[in-house]
Formats: sequence, C-alpha cells, structure tokens
Amino acid sequence: MTAFSAPSDHRSLLTPRPGSRGRKIRSVVASGLITLAFFVALVPLVAVVLYVIQQGADQLNWAFLTDPIPIDRAFGPGMGPAVAGTLLITGAASMMAIPLGVLGGIYLNEYGGRGVLARVIRFLAEVMTGVPSVVMGLFIYTFVVLQTKEPNAFAGALALACLMMPIVIRTTDEMLRLVPGELREGSYALGSRKSRTIRTVVLPSAAPGIISGALLAVARAAGETAPLIFTIGIVSETNWSLFNGPNTALSAQIYRNALSPFPGAQERAWGAALTLILIVFIFTVLARLVTAFFSRRQTA
Amino acid sequence: MTTLAPPQPDALEPAPEPHGLRDGGRRRGVAGDHLFRWLALLGGLMVLVVLGLIAYSTTTKALPWFRKEGLGAVFSDNWDPAHHHFGALALVYGTFLVGALALLLAVPVSIGIALFVTEVAPRRLARPVIYIVDLLAAIPSVVYGLWAIFVLLDPLANLFSVVSSATADIPILKTLFANPSATGRSYMTAGIIVAIMITPIITSITREVFATTPASLKEAAYGLGSTKWEMIRGAVFPHSRGGVVSAVMIGLGRAIGETIAVALVIGASQNISLHLLGPGDTMASAIVLQFGEASGTYRSALIGLGVVLFALTILVGMAARGLVARVDRKTGAVA
Amino acid sequence: MRRSFVRGCGLFLAALALPVFAVGTATAAKSSTNKLAPVTINGSGSTLQLAYDQQVILVDFHKTQPTVTVNYSGVGSGAGRQAFIDQTVDFAGSDAPFPAADAAKPKGGAYLYFPTVADPITVSYKLSGVKSLQLSAETIAGIFQRQITKWNDAKIAADNPGVKLPSTAITVARRADSSGTTQNFTTFLNKAAPSAWTLGAGSTVNWPTDTQGASGNAGVAQIITKTNGAIGYVDFSDAQAIGMTYAKVKNADGKFIAPSTPAASLAVAGAAVNADLTYDPINVAGAKVYPITSPTYLIVYQNQTDASKGNAIVAMLNYVYGAGQKTAPTIYYAPLSKDLLARAKSQVAKIVVPAG
Repeated sequence: MTAFSAPSDHRSLLTPRPGSRGRKIRSVVASGLITLAFFVALVPLVAVVLYVIQQGADQLNWAFLTDPIPIDRAFGPGMGPAVAGTLLITGAASMMAIPLGVLGGIYLNEYGGRGVLARVIRFLAEVMTGVPSVVMGLFIYTFVVLQTKEPNAFAGALALACLMMPIVIRTTDEMLRLVPGELREGSYALGSRKSRTIRTVVLPSAAPGIISGALLAVARAAGETAPLIFTIGIVSETNWSLFNGPNTALSAQIYRNALSPFPGAQERAWGAALTLILIVFIFTVLARLVTAFFSRRQTA
Repeated sequence: MTTLAPPQPDALEPAPEPHGLRDGGRRRGVAGDHLFRWLALLGGLMVLVVLGLIAYSTTTKALPWFRKEGLGAVFSDNWDPAHHHFGALALVYGTFLVGALALLLAVPVSIGIALFVTEVAPRRLARPVIYIVDLLAAIPSVVYGLWAIFVLLDPLANLFSVVSSATADIPILKTLFANPSATGRSYMTAGIIVAIMITPIITSITREVFATTPASLKEAAYGLGSTKWEMIRGAVFPHSRGGVVSAVMIGLGRAIGETIAVALVIGASQNISLHLLGPGDTMASAIVLQFGEASGTYRSALIGLGVVLFALTILVGMAARGLVARVDRKTGAVA
Repeated sequence: MRRSFVRGCGLFLAALALPVFAVGTATAAKSSTNKLAPVTINGSGSTLQLAYDQQVILVDFHKTQPTVTVNYSGVGSGAGRQAFIDQTVDFAGSDAPFPAADAAKPKGGAYLYFPTVADPITVSYKLSGVKSLQLSAETIAGIFQRQITKWNDAKIAADNPGVKLPSTAITVARRADSSGTTQNFTTFLNKAAPSAWTLGAGSTVNWPTDTQGASGNAGVAQIITKTNGAIGYVDFSDAQAIGMTYAKVKNADGKFIAPSTPAASLAVAGAAVNADLTYDPINVAGAKVYPITSPTYLIVYQNQTDASKGNAIVAMLNYVYGAGQKTAPTIYYAPLSKDLLARAKSQVAKIVVPAG
C-alpha cells in the first residue's frame, strides 16, 4: 500500500485542474518579478562601474599613474603618490596580516580543534570581521599615531592589517577543514611529524582556497578609506618610505576630491576611482581564477 | 607497541593527531615541530590580542564621555559639541534609520536575484551572473560615494521635491516626505546607496542557502503538482528561512558600519525626525567627519560612538546566529 | 700584504674624506642661504589658506628648495589646531587663534602666530536670474538662522531695491567641521548684527537642522554651485577660482562693498594688531572696507627640536614674507600691510633652531 493513491488514469495528472490556470499565471508573474528584481539590482551596480570607466578612462595614462599630485585648482594628470601609497600600504598590511592569519587558521584547525581557546578565537575572529573599519582607524590613531606623533604609511598598514587578519584566519580555517583526514593520516603513517604534515600535505592541498581568501582580503583592504584618513596624513609627492613621513592612498584621494568644486580635482578623482576599481578587480578575479584552476586540477 | 589510528573523522572533526609514532633517532624534528606549533598559536593569539587591545583601548578612552553624560550619552538627543553636549541619540537613530531603509530596499531585491540565479535562470546565465554580483561586492565604498555625488544627488533632489509636493496633503506620507533636501543629501539617499552596497553580500549568502534546498524537496513539490512559484514558496522558502534571516542580519551589520559613502551623501545634520528626504547623520559618519578637530570629552565621545558601533555589530551578529539556530530547530532544517 | 693593503685603502679614504669634511662644515655655516638638508615638514588646518599654501609653499617654495618637502592637509582650522596640540604636524594653518580654553594645550610649549595673508569671506549664492545682490548683516543673520526662507522675502528685497527676486526656497550651506571661516563669519554677524544674530561666534555653531553641512570651504562651494537657491560663506580665493556669484555686504560705514583683494587690504590696514601678531580685520571702519575679511596664520612652535625641520620652517616663512606676498593677489589673496609684514618678518627670528 503506497502512501499515495495511484491515479486511475495517468492523464489526470497532466489535465488542467480547476483553478490551475490562476496558479500558473501567478507563477509566471512571480518569475517575471524575480527577473525584474534581478535587473533592478544589476542596473545600479553595473551603472556605477560603467560610469567610472566612462569618466576615468580619459585620465588613465602613464603620467596619471606616476606624476605628483597637482594643486586642487590645476588641471592635469597626477596620482602617482596615491598609487604608490596604496601599493605600499596594502602590501605592508598583507605582509603582516596574511602570514599571521594563515598561522592562526592552522592553529584553529590543526591544533586547537574543539578546545576552549580555539572556540573563543573563532568567535572573536568572526566578531572582528564585522567591526566597522572606522573603529580600526580610531584605534590605531589613538593607540599608535598619537603616541608616535607620526602619521605614516605603517600606521595605515597596521589598521588595514587588523581588518585583513580575521578574514584570512577564517578562510584558512574553513579551507583546512575541507582537507580530508585521510591525507593527514597517510602522512602520519609514513612517519611525518605534525608540523611537517601540515607543511607538506595539508597546506598545499588547501592552498588554492587559502590563496584565494588572502587575495580577497587584499582586495578589500585596498579599497578601504576610513582607517587611512586618520592614520596616514597627505602628500603630493610619492613617498616610498613606510615609516618616514605621511603618505596618501587612492581611496583617501578619491574621498578628498569627491568634495572638491574644481573640475581638475574631480577628473583626478574619477581616474583614481578607475585605478582603484581595476586594482580591486584584478585581485578579485585572480582569486576566482586560483580557485577555479586548482580545483579543476585537483578533481582531475 | 603501536596503537590503532583513530576512527575516520569527517570534515567537521578536528584534524587527527599522530598516535604512537616511534621517532627513533629523529630528535631534530621535535624542536621544529614545537616551534611550528608555537608559531601557529601566536597567529591565533594575535586575534585575541588585537581585539582585546581594541576593546580595552577604545572603552577606556570612551569612559570620560560615559562619565559626563551617563545614560544620556546614548539616550539623550543633544549633540552640541560647541557647548560641550554629547548626547548621541540622534546619531544612533540615524544609524538605524539608514540601516532600515537600506534593508527595506536591498532584501527584496537580493532575494529576487538569488531566486533568479537558483530557480529561474538557465544554468548558463546563472554562473556569469554570480560572478558579476560577487565582483560588484568588491567595489570600494568611496567609489560608490563618488558616483552618488555626481550622478545620484541632482536627480534625487529633483525627485524629492516632486514627491514632497505631490504628497503634501496625504496624512502619513506628508510627514515622511516633508522638507526635501535641495542638494539631495538625505537619509533616503544614504539608504539607497547602502542598499546598493549590501545587496551583493545578502544575495550571495541567500543564493547559497537557496542552492542547498534538497532536490528531493523540490521534486516532491513538483510531484504534487506545484507551479514553480508554489514550489519556491513551499519548498525553498521554508527550508531557507534561517539562512535568509542570517543574511539579513549580516546585511544589517554591514549597513550599520558603512562610513564613507554615508558621510558623503547624508548631509551631516543631527536630528531625530521622520523626514526621510531631509539631511541626517549616523554614528560612523559623525566619527569620520568630526574626529580631526575633536579633543578632550569630544574626542572621548567620538571614540565612544565607535565602541557603541562595535557593540552593535557584535549584538547583531549574535542575534543572527541565535535566530538562525532557533529557526533551524523549529523547521528541523540542517544548517 | 693584506694588512698593508687595508691600511693603504684606509689612508686613501681618509684623504678623500678630509676635503668632504671641510666642505661640509663650510656649507653648514652657510646653510641658511644654500640648499637645506633633505627634510619633510607637515602642516594641516585651514582650507581658506589651502590654495595659498599649495601654490606658494608646496610648489613655489619647493622649487627654490627642492630638498624640502612640505605637506599640507586642508582639514579645517579646528582640526589643524588639534593636530598641532598633539604634535602630529609641524605647523598648523588656522584662520583664528586658539580659543582661550585651548591656549595652553599645545604639547610642544610656546608657539608663535605668523599671519600670512588675508582673504575676504564671500557670501556666495546661486540664483538663476539674479546676477547681483547686496545684503546687510541683519539680513544675512536672518538667512543663516532660517528666519528668512525664501529669496523674495521682504528683508532681502529691502536690501535690493529694484531687483526682481524669485520665490525659490533658500538652501543654506555652512560648515559641518570646526572652521576658522565659520569663526570669522559668525564674529562678523555678532559684531555687525548683535541683536539679530543669536547663535554666537565660534569654530562650530549650533546651526538650524535644516541647513546643509559640508566639509571645508571646497565642500560648501560645491553645494552652492550645484544647487539653485543655495547660499553660503566661501573664501574669496575659492569663489573667484570657481567663478561663483557673491553678494555685496554692508560694511560698518553703511556702504555695500563687494569682496576684493584691495577691499580686504584696507581692512587689514585698519585692524589693530596684538602683540602676538593676531589681528582682527572684521567689520573695521572705512568706506571701502570689505567687512568680512579673514586673517589667517601659520602656527609654529617657538622652540624647534629638530634642526633640519626648524631651518626648513624658517626658510618657508621667509619665502612667504618675500616672494609669497607678491604672489598673493594673483591667486586672490590680500598680502599683509607693510607694518604687519615688517613685524612678522622680525618675529621669524624668534624661532629657536638647535645647532645642526
């Protein structure tokens, strides 16, 4: 005796039943609304990118990326210091946050397990990913800049590193969790120590995901503005020094020039916005490529 | 004497420990092993240390504000730095108003996109759409702000004045749409921009949740003769309730923390009013605009706002997880 | 063989070093007129003087001293003074001296005010069809306190007989940040319309909530240029550079005067100068004086701790008081009066720079 009563005639399933036309119309309408929602959402998102490209494309040339920043009233290219600053500060932040984050993720998944410390750290890492970046900026300003009396690229890098680290830890933790236990087992069976197992078996296996997560964290950090406003000051000539003297960044310059009434400054803002979007997109796309390429290799 | 290896762990169990290995003469590796373990521990502890420092440092620096204003710090509407009054109720109100507006606009749209990608669109269209949405999540806040200033503000200013005069006689709407901002800088504009910014993250989480709806559930619905929409309502939504709530909460958390784009388009006017089309202010925006010139209790108040923001994001995150757990328990859905 | 080789090298290098030392000490003695040691000095503050600092100091002065890099961040006078107190900058730009409560706060000890230029504060507006406007202090007070909300209000019409005013709503743009421009603007309203203006004078003021707040003179200017019916206070240099329309303002003698560098110079000449070189050119008497003229200062610590920075600051100030005064009118700033300039130049000598 089946749970369902068998139809006396197979065709009765397919013949329209009373009221079903209304239901069908509702379903079609719903699908239409859903598709509409999709376009409504995508339009502003795509409009932003297209507008930035349209406004900024004229600005992008070698002079724009390397020349010093002209005074606000002047026309003409020049965001070299900002490009250098973004690269320097984001690079320094990555060098601090990524190793620490990966190590932390290794601890959480390989050593900490279900222990209290690991659970606390996991919870706090999740909390930290939600902290507004302006709070990080405030913290570094009061804790570092006011004491050293030196706004510089390093202070900005510290603030960005605070932002990046929890993201990297969580991604690493999740990626390591996906590594099958058999891989570890096999390595132990062959006589490896734990650290060697992690280094030679677990990490390489999880590497695509970890790298991808790190690249996404870098992309996020490159676009941040609020933590930098408090901590790096401003310059009009490129400063490659991490500790010596203030610096500037693309995001900070965009913020500043967005409020300027001078068309020259506004043009430079669009150029900087396009440059920033390109940098962020390159890292994001790289992250996807890494995942796609390596996961294809692994499943092959 | 060797012991058996532990039973096969699944992906959620902690990594297996090496058991009963004899290392014989390979003592050299032990130190390196310990060193590696300590390095990993250090990495993990950094989270504790940094977060602890942030919490400690910001809270202690915010104390003068709480001491001066008491509960009024957050519950009194008297933000007047020129006369040393720092009651931030208007800023808290503004933060939630912008968050609410953003969610109101973003959630239906995000659910729509997620449904589109998982249920309506053909497979080949779905993948590039997902790529695009994730890519658009990466656009920095300051670029949205720049775009808003030069593209959105003027048309919105015109729209606001039209809407305001059109609803001037309708009872509730006339309050909501009174005093339109002539520059376009308003609570509503900030809500729109934040909605655009949080849509990708809400979409991405919701999409993942929808995608985990068991095929059997969907097929059962079709088997009972449902149309597509009825299947969505009957199978996908109930299964995903917890996940959608979680996504909404995460979106709210992001909306609360949005700083730069909001600061550029909200108009920096602290007030508690229902004039959605008029200028306003939020906590994060006030911090970033006023911090450079603040000192003493003023600075302490702004840091205190940061502490409040911090606490709010923690609360929202915990509420998200609590709600998800409760809904999951009720529906029996597997997380 | 190796030791003698090393000794030979050492002697050779020492021989090379001697003339370098000789030249080095000689140039150290002449460093005030030669190129300075490479150094970066940082300042922040007033946006009113931002364009002046950018052109005269960051560009022109830097050309004469390429090894000295000066950075200046326009964050508002209040923020600049605060950064100066915290010593996160080497000098501050401010349109107003420290308020009494803050005067003793700077952590580096005694400091000096160096007036650089003066700049009128315009009452700029955007109103289609109205090319010229004149306003009295009372009317301005009424507008910025939101008692006057439409352009065709009786009070504005009374100031402008014969001018056709539309019924457009007025949008008030003002500073949201702590601003020396706000301070001087509100000081003018306090002095010239004491019974009409009730919000007091200060870097920040409790503006009515239905006004638009912006950051920096540039932010206010941006609001005005994009909004029909907007009015706000913007420094003359920015207003001219953008091509904004501004009103004539009634001065203490009852005459409506347009902002201009000559009118500002008259205000500076008529102002009383304090011992610390701060002065108040607001609403001074004179038929052709523009009443809302703002001073602006560079604030510097008297006892410099770093020789190269100190020398750079001295050189910067000397440049401002030399070629910098001639450049001022070309970028719409009023230079200092002869008397004030002489006093300022001699105050530069008060800066104590450690021997380098």
